[in-house]
Amino acid sequence: MLSTNNIVAITWWTLYTIIGVWAQKVIPGVDFLAPGIVLSMQEEAGHRTLWLAVIWILLLEGIGNMPFGYGVAWYGLLVMFYSVGRWLFEARSILFMALLGAGLGVLHPILTHFLSSLANLTVPVQPTILEGLVQALVFPIVWMAADQLFPKRLRQDVKPL
Amino acid sequence: MKKPKKIAVVIVAGLFVYLSMYTWNLRTGHLDALSSYTGLDISGLILRPGIWASDKVVNFWDRYIYLVGLKQENDVLIEQAAELKRANMLISAKARSASRLERLLDFVPPTDWGFSGAHVIAHRMGPAGSLATVSVDKGSAAGVEDDMPVVSLDGVVGRVLNTGATVSSILLLTDSNSRIAVIGDLNRSPGMLSGQGYGEPLLLRFVNLNAVIDAGEMLLSSGLSGIYPKGLPVARVTKVQRSDISLFLTIQAEPLVDMAGLEELLLLKREPVLPSAQTEADKAPADEEVAAGALDQ
Repeated sequence: MLSTNNIVAITWWTLYTIIGVWAQKVIPGVDFLAPGIVLSMQEEAGHRTLWLAVIWILLLEGIGNMPFGYGVAWYGLLVMFYSVGRWLFEARSILFMALLGAGLGVLHPILTHFLSSLANLTVPVQPTILEGLVQALVFPIVWMAADQLFPKRLRQDVKPL
Repeated sequence: MKKPKKIAVVIVAGLFVYLSMYTWNLRTGHLDALSSYTGLDISGLILRPGIWASDKVVNFWDRYIYLVGLKQENDVLIEQAAELKRANMLISAKARSASRLERLLDFVPPTDWGFSGAHVIAHRMGPAGSLATVSVDKGSAAGVEDDMPVVSLDGVVGRVLNTGATVSSILLLTDSNSRIAVIGDLNRSPGMLSGQGYGEPLLLRFVNLNAVIDAGEMLLSSGLSGIYPKGLPVARVTKVQRSDISLFLTIQAEPLVDMAGLEELLLLKREPVLPSAQTEADKAPADEEVAAGALDQ
């Protein structure tokens, strides 16, 4: 039997995923779900983040058109950036989120170029750089919005002073 | 083991596992299939209700509220329909005589192509969507297969890249990885048409320096690649340049289809022609012509 918290969490993350997919349809090349991974790592138990990551990796890979691997590297490196950055920054500060967004913005063209070279595909570089810039801008904004709307009953920490 | 050494081992092991998974999937395609049958279909489930609702609202507005210019539009459409009927009559007569001649000359009957319509539900999405693609609301459950040709009423759009159960993604001919064997409509010069990305002209490659091809000439699919049927309109030549250092002409072309405004598409599927059906189909128009000729006399 699902607890109330689990029902609230499933509903909230389902809504977040629906809005994220629609946002990705409107602005191509940008990931609106990545801030959710960070928010989940900050606020929830690890197993829930793992489930979200698996579902979103399949979603990213499915709606994308590169050979499988981008989503795994994308979220894997995001988790690594977050874990390493936590040693240096306050985990829930907007500055840290802006830096994470900038990191993803730089990562996008590099990862696209690397994986397309492995698969022998030609991908124009300029659009991926522009998408990286938009990703860097979007990441902290989406994280802030999601953090504001995240249900209080699911939070497992306290806000910074 | 010391900490830096441990971190290095973890990084190297992670990279090894990742690259093994990547190359295994490139060879087998199992993970691509898994993500198509889960992620692509889930995206279809998420997008369809919104698109359905938006279509209903727009249709209601167009049909019952916004009726400005409807009479003029109707007149233009009636005129166009009449013109198309006239053109169709002439073309059907030519097509019938061509098929009779082919039969007389013992040509092997070509494979027939069936088609089914599909709605575009999204253009490329997400950070892993770097190729120029669109998603349509039909998948393997409706008989869609990889590499099926996709056309619109104006010309070739591309081919099926991935299929989920209910959603498929289509690689557009403007993408840099798209290649289509084409032939000039008037001068029959063959070449290979490739995309250069959205908004960029198409490039016609491997056309000999002494080949005859003019700006404005239509490019048709040659059928040589085995994916597209022969004779579909693909693009129009916009610029022909001779180069002193190359063995080939430098030719640019533009697609006949507006890729950004795609809403409905046709998916073509190879259907083997049964000999009995072919004979019946050829016989019926021939009988009609004989009857018409007898009446004329």
